[in-house]
Amino acid sequence: MTKQVQDAYIVAAVRTPVGKAPRGFFRNTRPDDLLAHTLKGVLSSFPQIDKKRIADVIIGCAMPEAEQGMNVARISLLLAGFPDCVPGVTVNRFCASGLQTVSMAADRIRLGEADIMIAGGTESMSLIPMMGHKVVMNPALFAGNENVGIAYGMGLTAEKVASQWNISREAQDAFAFESHRRAVAATQAGEFKSEILPYTVQESVPDFSQVSTSLKSQVVSVDEGPRADSTMEGLAKLKPVFAARGSVTAGSCSQMSDGAAAVLLMSERAIKEFGVQPIARVVSFAVTGVPPPVMGIGPVEAIPLALKMAGLNQSEIDWIELNEAFAAQSLAVCNVLELDRAKVNPLGGAIALGHPLGATGAIRTATLVHALQRHNKKYGMISMCIGTGMGAAGIFERILMN
Amino acid sequence: MDSCSNVIVRKVAVLGAGVMGAQIAAHLANANVEVVLFDLPAKDGDANGVVLKAIANLQKLEPSPLSVKSKSGYMTPANYETGLAVLKECDLVIEAIAERMDWKLDLYNKIAPHLHPQCIFATNTSGLSIEKLGNGFPEAMRSRFCGVHFFNPPRYMTLVELIATPNTDPKLLDGLETFLVTVLGKGVVRTKDTPNFIANRIGVFSLLATIYHAERLGLGFDVVDALTGPIIGRAKSATFRTMDVVGLDTMTHVIKTMADTLPNDLWNKYFKTPVWVEELIKNGALGQKSGAGVYRKVGKDILVMDLALRNYRPSAQEIAPEVEAILKMKDPREKFAALRTCSHPQAEFVCSIFRDLWHYCAVTLDSIANTARDLDFAVRWGYGWAMGPFEVWQAAGWSQIASWISEDLAAGKLMTNAPIPNWATDKNRKVMHSNEGSFSPKTGGMQGRSTLPVYKRQPYPETLLGEKPTYGETVFETDGVRLWHTGDEIGILSFKSKMHAVGNEVLDGIIRATSEAEKQFKGLVLWQSEPPFSAGANLAQVTQAVAQKDFVTLEATVAKFQQASLALRYCMVPTVAAVQGMALGGGCEFVMHCTKTVAALETYAGLVEVGVGLLPAGGGIKEFALRASREAKGGNTFHFLAQYFQNMAMGQVSRSAENAKELGYLKHSDVVVFNPNEILTVAKTEARAMCEAAYRPPLRPRDILAAGKGAIATIKAQLVNMKEGGFISEHDFEIGSRIAFALCGGDVEAGTLLTEDWYLALERRAFMELLRTEKTQARIEHMLKTGKPLRN
Repeated sequence: MTKQVQDAYIVAAVRTPVGKAPRGFFRNTRPDDLLAHTLKGVLSSFPQIDKKRIADVIIGCAMPEAEQGMNVARISLLLAGFPDCVPGVTVNRFCASGLQTVSMAADRIRLGEADIMIAGGTESMSLIPMMGHKVVMNPALFAGNENVGIAYGMGLTAEKVASQWNISREAQDAFAFESHRRAVAATQAGEFKSEILPYTVQESVPDFSQVSTSLKSQVVSVDEGPRADSTMEGLAKLKPVFAARGSVTAGSCSQMSDGAAAVLLMSERAIKEFGVQPIARVVSFAVTGVPPPVMGIGPVEAIPLALKMAGLNQSEIDWIELNEAFAAQSLAVCNVLELDRAKVNPLGGAIALGHPLGATGAIRTATLVHALQRHNKKYGMISMCIGTGMGAAGIFERILMN
Repeated sequence: MDSCSNVIVRKVAVLGAGVMGAQIAAHLANANVEVVLFDLPAKDGDANGVVLKAIANLQKLEPSPLSVKSKSGYMTPANYETGLAVLKECDLVIEAIAERMDWKLDLYNKIAPHLHPQCIFATNTSGLSIEKLGNGFPEAMRSRFCGVHFFNPPRYMTLVELIATPNTDPKLLDGLETFLVTVLGKGVVRTKDTPNFIANRIGVFSLLATIYHAERLGLGFDVVDALTGPIIGRAKSATFRTMDVVGLDTMTHVIKTMADTLPNDLWNKYFKTPVWVEELIKNGALGQKSGAGVYRKVGKDILVMDLALRNYRPSAQEIAPEVEAILKMKDPREKFAALRTCSHPQAEFVCSIFRDLWHYCAVTLDSIANTARDLDFAVRWGYGWAMGPFEVWQAAGWSQIASWISEDLAAGKLMTNAPIPNWATDKNRKVMHSNEGSFSPKTGGMQGRSTLPVYKRQPYPETLLGEKPTYGETVFETDGVRLWHTGDEIGILSFKSKMHAVGNEVLDGIIRATSEAEKQFKGLVLWQSEPPFSAGANLAQVTQAVAQKDFVTLEATVAKFQQASLALRYCMVPTVAAVQGMALGGGCEFVMHCTKTVAALETYAGLVEVGVGLLPAGGGIKEFALRASREAKGGNTFHFLAQYFQNMAMGQVSRSAENAKELGYLKHSDVVVFNPNEILTVAKTEARAMCEAAYRPPLRPRDILAAGKGAIATIKAQLVNMKEGGFISEHDFEIGSRIAFALCGGDVEAGTLLTEDWYLALERRAFMELLRTEKTQARIEHMLKTGKPLRN
C-alpha cells in the first residue's frame, strides 16, 4: 500500500440516547452493551460493507475499568458480532476521548494505512464512579505547591475559572436555563432523531412471592437530561457545591450520564468501492494543555489551534458544539474567544443533554454532522475542556448529499 | 430474667398514620418489633398511599423518630379496606386516630371482628374517657381494652401513661407495662381515667396559670419565656414557644376539652383560650407550622407579639438582675424566701405560678393519681421538667411553702379559694418522697414503687428528691473514680468528675480498676449513675499544662490515656461499657476499647477532638485502623478507612446507638438496650456470660494492614478541595492531614503490616504536634470559655 495523505470522511454517526446517572434509565445497563449496540447500528444501513475490512475500532472511555475495563473496545466489537480479525483499542483523554478517537481513526485513513475505521466512545457513570473505584493519589502532588492543582476536583476548577474570568452566578444560571430550553425545544422538534438509536433496556426484577425474576423491558429513544420545568427561580435557589461562598451549583454543571456512540469513517477509495454517501469530512483536530487548576479554559487554547490547522477563520464556523462541563467555563471560553452565542450549542449542551465523559466527544460528533446536514451549514466544530488541564477542538465540513 | 415471660408481643398494629401513630410505629420498628401501620385507603393511586406518605415523612422529621434511616423500610403499610386480615396476627393494637369519640367508635366496630381474641387493644388518646371508649368495644373483648398515652415525640419523651377501664384484665396491663418499659424503654405511669390524665392536666394548668399571672402582672411573652425556661428547671421552649410548637389551634382544642370535661374543677373558669390567642388564630398565626404565632421569625431576627402594641417587636428576653440573682441561688429554701420578699413583678410572677400550681396539684392529686411520685414523674417525663411540682415544693421546705399557701389563700390571693387538703398542711409533713416511698393521698402513707418483675432490671431507676439509693460496697475510691460492687462478682467503675470528664485521676482509676478486677471480679463494668457516660478529656487540665509549657507531662498523660484504653482491652476479665447519652472523645475511646458495649438507644458517641483542634490519641485512631484492616479481609483497606476518617475529621456524633454501629464507634456485636435504667443489669449479664465462656483477651495485633502513603495522598486531595472551596480552614486541613497520616499508618507502602504500638506512637506524635500550635490552643481555650467550638 502506498502511503499518502488523503481525506477521511464520516459516513455514519450514531449514538444511544443519554441517560441520567446514577438513577436514570441506563442505571443497570452495561457500557459494553451500549457500545456494542452502536457498533451494530453504525453499520446497519450498509450491508454491502464487508466487516472484515474494518481496520480498527478505537473507543474512548474516561474511566476504563470494571464494566468498561479490560479494553472495552475489543470486548464490545466481539459482542456486536464483528469478525475476530477486527481489532479494538481503548483510548483515554478524559472528556475528549470520544473526539480523540475520531481524530485517530481519521489519521489512519489520512495516512493511507486504513480504509474503514470505527471511532466511538462509551461511559457509564452509573456503574463506574468518577475517578474510578480505587482512587490513589501520588504523594508527590503534595510535596510542593506546583502540582497540587492536579488534586483539584472539577467543580473547584470551575470556581477558579468563574472568579478569574469574572463569571457571575446569575450569568451561569441563565446559561444553564438556556441550555435546558434549547435542549427541550430541539428534542420536541425531533432534532436528534436521525442520530439516536433507540435502545431496549432490560432489567431483572425479583418477584418475591414466586422467588423468580422477570425481565422488565423499556425502549428508550430520547435523552433523559433536559428539564422542561427548569426555571431561573429554581436555579437561583440551589446552593453552591464546590465552594462555601462559590457560584457553581448542581444546576450549572454538566449532568452525570450514561451513553455511547460510534462513528464510521472511510477513505475516498472505500466510499467509491462500497458506493456509500459520506456526510462530513474531518478537517482538523488540536489538543493542548493549560494549568490544571483552570482546566475549564482549555478550549481557549485548542480552538485557535484547530482553526489555524484548518486554515479557517472563526467566523467561518457555522456551528459549535462546546461541551458544557460547567456554565462558568463555557461562558469564560465564549467571552475570551468572542464566540457567537447563537452558534454555540443551538440544541442545548451537556448541562441539559448530559456528559458521559469519554463518550461525549463521539456523541457530539454524531449531533454535529447530522445538524450540519439538516440545517444546511458548512463548517462545524466540537470543543471541550479536559481534566488535569487540557483542551481539544475538532473541525468538520459537511459533504453535500448527491 | 423474668421480664419477658408475662407477655410476648411479636407483632403490633398501629391504627392511624398521623403525627403520633407514625412516630409510635417508627419507635416500634426501632425496637425490632414487627409493625403494621394502618390508615384510610387512598382515594387514588396505591391503596396504602396515605401510610406510605406518612412513612416517607418520618425520614424528614427532626429530631428523627428513626434510630437509623433504614428502619423506615421495616414498617408494613396497610389500610382499613384491604388490610384488616393481618390484625389476627397482631398481639398488640394501638389506635392513634384523630381525637373524635364517634370516629374512634366507628373504627372499633369495623375492626373488632378481625382482632385476635387475646390481643391487647390500646387507645392512644390524650383526652377522651377510656371507659367510654371501652364501652364501644364488643363486650366479650372489653377486658382486652385499655388506654396508652405516648408523648410527642415518642422516641424521645420518656412518659407513657397507662390507663385501665374497670373491665381491663390486670394481667394484660402488667404485660403491656412490661413491654413498654423494657422493649420500648419508656417510663410508665399508671393514671386514673380522668380528662387529660396526669401530665397534660398539670401541664396545661401550669400553662394557663402562667398566662393568667403574666397578664395580671403585665409581663411580655418574651420575659415570661425567659423566666419559665431552664432557669427554673423547665424545658428551653418555656411557655409560649412551647405553645407555638404545639400549635395555637391545637392548644385551643386541648383547653376546650379541659373546660368541657371538667365542669366541677374549681379552676374551670380559667380553662379558656385567651382572646389574643383567638385573634392570632383568626389571622392565620397558628405557631411554628404557619411561620408565625406568639413569635415570628423574620430573617435571623426573632420577633415577639406585644399585646400593648398589637404587633410584633424584637424579642428581648430580659430578666431583671435582682430577680435573676435570686433565681440563680443554689438553696431552694433561700431562693423561694427571697422571691417572696422581692417586690419586683417578675419575682411575684414566679412566686405566683409556683404557688397556684402547688395549690392545684395538692387539691387535684387524689382524683388523678395514686401517688405524688406518679404526678412528679408524669410532669418530668412528659414535659421535660427537671423536677416535678411536689419535688420543688419539698426542696423549698414543705411546711414553709404550705404555710405561705394557706396565708395567701386566706388573703384571697390565689386563683381560687379551694381548700387545701389537710395532708398538705399537716405540721408533721416534711416530704412527699423518701426511701420509704411517695405519698399516697388514698392511704395517707408512703407507698413504695411498683413490684412488677420488669423493674428488677432497674437496680438504679431515676430517683425523686428525697430518695437516696445506695451504691454497693466500695473497693477503692479516689478523686476521679469509685470502684464498687453489689456482691455479685462484677466490679463497677464509676467516674466522679463533672460530666464524667477524663482527667489524670480518672486514667489512674481505670488502670487500677482493671488490675483490681482481675484479682477479685469476673468482669468489670464502666457505668455512671447519671448520663452522660463521658464528655471527653478534662480540657482544663490540658490548658493548665500548656500554659506552663509542660509538654513532657502532657505527652506522659497522652501515653497514660492510651495505657488506660489498653488496660480495658487486655484486662484478663471482660470489660463492658454501659453507655447512655454522650460518649465523646476519650469517653468514646474507652467504649471502643472495652470487650463489649451495652448502649442505651439514646447514645451519642463520637470522636470530636477536631472541635478543639486535636485528634483522638487515646487509641481511637489506632482502633479505627485496626478495624478497617480486619473488615477489609485482605481487600481494599481504604474503602473501610474512608468512613472512619470522616467520623474523626468532621467530629461526627452518632444520633442513636444503632447509628453508632453504622458509623463504626460501636461494634455490631454490641448490645442496644432501650431502657437506659437497664444498661447496668444487661452489662453485668454480658460480663458474667463472657467470663463463664472462658474469656481471654485478644493478643496485641502485629498485623494491621497499613493503607500507606498513597491513601494519605488520596485523603489529602479531598482536604485540599475542601480547603480551597472554603469549607474548612487551614488549621482544619492541618488536623485532617495528621488524622489521615496516623490512620493510614504513616509514610509506609500500602499493605505493610504494622503493630498496635506503631499506630499509638503516630497518634501521640500527631497529638503533641497539634497541641503545640497556637490555633489548637486557641480552640481549647475558646471551648473552655464558651462551651462552643472555635473555627480558626
